[in-house]
Amino acid sequence: MYERALTELASKILGEVEGIIGYAPGSLPFHMRPFLCQREEDIACLSFNHFARPNLARYLLTLEMRKKRVAIVVKGCDARTVIVLLKEGQVKRENLYLIGAPCHGMVSVSKLEERFGVLSPPDFVWEADTFTWRGERFAIRDFLEDSCERCAYPNPPWYDALLGEELPKPPVLPGGRDYLGRIKALPLEKRWEFFAQEMEKCIRCYACRNSCPLCYCTECFVDQTRPSWLSQAATRNENLFFHLGRSLHMAGRCTECGACERACPLGIPIGLLPLYVEELIREHFAFEAGMNLDTPAPLLTYRENDPNEFIR
Amino acid sequence: MVELNAWEPKIVAFLCHWCSYAGADLAGVSRIQYPPNIRIIRVPCSGAINPLYILKAFREGADGVLVSGCHPGDCHYLSGNYFARRKFFLLKELLIFAGIEEERLQFSWVSASEGQKFSQVIEQVVEGVKKIGPSKKGLKEFAFHV
Repeated sequence: MYERALTELASKILGEVEGIIGYAPGSLPFHMRPFLCQREEDIACLSFNHFARPNLARYLLTLEMRKKRVAIVVKGCDARTVIVLLKEGQVKRENLYLIGAPCHGMVSVSKLEERFGVLSPPDFVWEADTFTWRGERFAIRDFLEDSCERCAYPNPPWYDALLGEELPKPPVLPGGRDYLGRIKALPLEKRWEFFAQEMEKCIRCYACRNSCPLCYCTECFVDQTRPSWLSQAATRNENLFFHLGRSLHMAGRCTECGACERACPLGIPIGLLPLYVEELIREHFAFEAGMNLDTPAPLLTYRENDPNEFIR
Repeated sequence: MVELNAWEPKIVAFLCHWCSYAGADLAGVSRIQYPPNIRIIRVPCSGAINPLYILKAFREGADGVLVSGCHPGDCHYLSGNYFARRKFFLLKELLIFAGIEEERLQFSWVSASEGQKFSQVIEQVVEGVKKIGPSKKGLKEFAFHV
């Protein structure tokens, strides 16, 4: 998808920028790997498809990239992440060239495996919204990653160049936007049981934190020892504490790209907590992270009529 | 006879130096009675409270946490409590979402002249926490399997 537009654009801008952070086919089928294209002959490697899952904004934060002027391929959610980084002064606008890629949603390998068993790449023919498997046609939207099922912004809100055409807003999929609804509908004790069960699984590998392009503190609160906020031991309550703390640090910043959930080796729906915080912020503070550069972050501003009923 | 083994909640109260702390002082000076379950921590402003303080209090064994600051508009630093209110709102809702009882974490605005209100707030908080019993969720644990 977009290969032609991508190569044309890449060869045009490669002198202007020192590198292009994009995707290239990985060594595994159904996975794309992050790829830094710095030479003319590498341009042909750049591609984009339904498996370009990684949020490349993460790579803008490496020391080398901060010094260089780079172009980066961004989906809707990734572009929002870049905007948050710009707003927080982590990257410089003049050092960035955003290549927007309207996104049809990323396909989940586990959902494909669930339906087709052992996957073999030649069985599949991919198109924008559909694919065929041994001649049978399927809709992409039935096999999307969870984070893509709830996606509301397939187009980057902001870019320097766009590959292809902007897409219409995606339809609300069953279980999509109402991802949180099934948890919210549970009574308090059931919610606790649900989270307690999930937190038992967590091994505190910090893959969620490390994959998150917005978790860039040089020293995370979990690593601090003076004061020591929580123990390193992966016990249920400590795990919950870690995830609650992380969600609060993400408040008004999370762009719902789902990188944390995809990174979790135990499949914990770890996005639930930050997503809930984002929902509260949308509802009560009328703010969505990464939509523009001007609106102040919700926790750095206030209104006199903010919710007050919970305070005696 | 006092029952020796009766459980009494431990409540950590973060009080703003400029209002609620003085309010607590006034309650004391005026000899207003309130339950002795609170441990007061004085902070410079409710806006200075990092939500992690509150989580840590739970982790260290608090059965309840009360945060009390100046009424909106009365902040000594002009707007600290407005910023705090947004943080607290998110924290409280998030804890409820995660299945932690709403009585565990409570907030109040108490000014320096409201000794009476301070004692009422403490009574209400203690009563609420007593109703739901000792805190188990969020308490630090010893790891047996690491």
